[in-house]
Formats: sequence, C-alpha cells, structure tokens
Amino acid sequence: MTQQPEILHYAVSVVGKDRPGIVAGVTEGLFNLGCNIADSSCTMLAGEFAMILIVSLKSPFSKTRLIDELKPVCAKMGMTLGVRTLHQDEVARQESDGEICMISVYGADQPGIVYRVTRELAACNVNITDLNTKLIGTPEEPVYVMMLEVALPEGQNAEGVEQLLADLKSELKVEIGVRVVTPVAF
Amino acid sequence: MPVQPILRYPHPVLKKLCHEVKQIDTSIHDLVHDLVDTMHEGPGSVGVAASQIGVTLRVCVVDVSKNRHGKENNHGLLCMINPEITSRSGVATMREGCMSVPDYTGDVERATEISLQFCEPDGTKREIIASGFEAVAIQHEMDHLDGILFLDRVTSIKTGLFRRKNY
Repeated sequence: MTQQPEILHYAVSVVGKDRPGIVAGVTEGLFNLGCNIADSSCTMLAGEFAMILIVSLKSPFSKTRLIDELKPVCAKMGMTLGVRTLHQDEVARQESDGEICMISVYGADQPGIVYRVTRELAACNVNITDLNTKLIGTPEEPVYVMMLEVALPEGQNAEGVEQLLADLKSELKVEIGVRVVTPVAF
Repeated sequence: MPVQPILRYPHPVLKKLCHEVKQIDTSIHDLVHDLVDTMHEGPGSVGVAASQIGVTLRVCVVDVSKNRHGKENNHGLLCMINPEITSRSGVATMREGCMSVPDYTGDVERATEISLQFCEPDGTKREIIASGFEAVAIQHEMDHLDGILFLDRVTSIKTGLFRRKNY
C-alpha cells in the first residue's frame, strides 16, 4: 500500500500599500511552489491591501522555502510578509449548529465600540466569524459602522442577542440590529 | 419511485439549457415522481430541478410548506412542467446554498413576488402568484432549467460556516 503524502498547511499574510499586481505577484510565487490556496480573504483597508491565505502543500516542504520564495516578491512591492505553520488540528473548521446572524452596529464615532460589543458577545459564547468596520461621515460628524457575522451557540436566537446588546445600545447611543442570515439549502 | 442521486457541479448537465417538454407522457410522470421523492430525501430540501438528477427537461418541483421560512405562505407541493415567470417585482437578498454545490453559500438577490404559469402533470395549465420564500425557491429551481447556478448570481462573497470542513 502506498502511503499518502502528508499535506502541510500554512497561514500566509501579506500587507502593504495598495497597487495593481499584488495578488498576481504573490500567487505567482505560490504557483511556482505548487501551493494550493485552500481559503483566502483579501481586501483593501484604507489604502492598504491585506491578504490572508491558507495554503496547502504536499510534504516534504518547509516554512523556510515558502518564505524564500515569497519574501523577494513582497519586498519588491513593499509588502510585509508573515507565515505561520498550521497544525493538523487547526485546519479542520468548527461547524456550528446554531443560527448565523449579521449584526450591524452604527452611530456617532467614539472609543470602545468594537470592544464593548464584542465583549458582550464573547461572554455569551457568540462566535465572530467575520467582522469589518468602517469610519464614514464627515470629519465634523464621524460615524462608525461595524458589521459582524456571528455563529450563535445552540439555544440562543437573534432576539436574545438583540436583548443582550440592548443596554449597550442605549449607553453608547448607537443603532444595533441583528438579523438571521443562516443559509437556506435548495 | 426511486430517489435519484443529486448531481454535483462540475457535472456538465448542471450548466445545460433544458428543453421544453413537448408531450406529457408516463416518462414525464415518472420524472416528476423521482423529483418529488428526491426532494423529500434531501435534508431540508425545498425543491429539485430535473437537471439536478441528470434530465435536461424543463421540469422542477418545489414544496416550502414544511420549511420554517415558507410554512405560512405557500402553494403546497408544486410540480411544474415548462414553468415560465411572466412578471416579477421587489428585490430581497437571501443567503442560498444548493445540493448541487455543497459546502458553499452566498447572498443572492431575487424578486420577492413572481407571477408564473406552468403545466401540471395532468396537463392542466396553472397560473399562480408566489411571494416570499416560495418565490425565491421557485426562482432558484427555475434557474437550474437555464443552467444557472446560484454561484452565477452571488452578490456578496462573504460566506458563512458551511464551507468545506477540511481542506
């Protein structure tokens, strides 16, 4: 019986000033190494472009080889590179049986919005799976917008989460809405 | 009637344009039965289109009456031959998944109310107005008849927890 080669996983992050060609440059390096991009999220934050990729490769391979290939590419584009080796038990995704909700929080900008909201959620075991924030409005009247996608623990529902955040909503004078976005399978 | 296996992308039939049913005969009755049985077999499934079981004919079934989103507003089991949407109004976004594209979901915009006409398996022409979740389910299944998957209509790439668990 032939033994299946072990699959190795790495988390790769690349951050730097946005310009055309960053994704092509980084993924060319990965392609040359024979890397699979298993999961990725790349986005522009202010003028910075941020890439986070989970890449997989057949053993034998090393983190050093990955860095040796990508570092010159990133240096040429002025990007910062980070590589982390993932252990096998980190790779499997935890699947939740609970509802998936989108929480929108917005209001006059003030310190601590993200912290105060996420602290309440964490205390109730609500798991954040996606979060993005944006400062909008005018310099005179800055408005903070935060969108969170969360997985609720079993037994919790959207109304429960809304109630959980009700005190905070009046204290911070922000709008907080919770809606269910659990996928429907056809 | 047997439950049929659901084809998964990249099976080429899923991207094919399905043909109009010219004559409703026993083969069409058998196909409808297979679709209904296959729908009932799928966990929480509310619809199946013929192309999903490998038949390129314009036939699909929808039944949202047992689903929490559809139980208040539905037409029960709909067996639709040559369905056509004659008008649509309103827009709403729902996060959709599909048995033919497992482990992936995405936000899709659909009309909230549709008028449609189709043939029943006994040959009767029927016209209905569907709204809400039932309208979404019908549009999803009818897309299959045109070789369109929800991936072709995704408006947001933010996906939830239901992607593959192991890479």
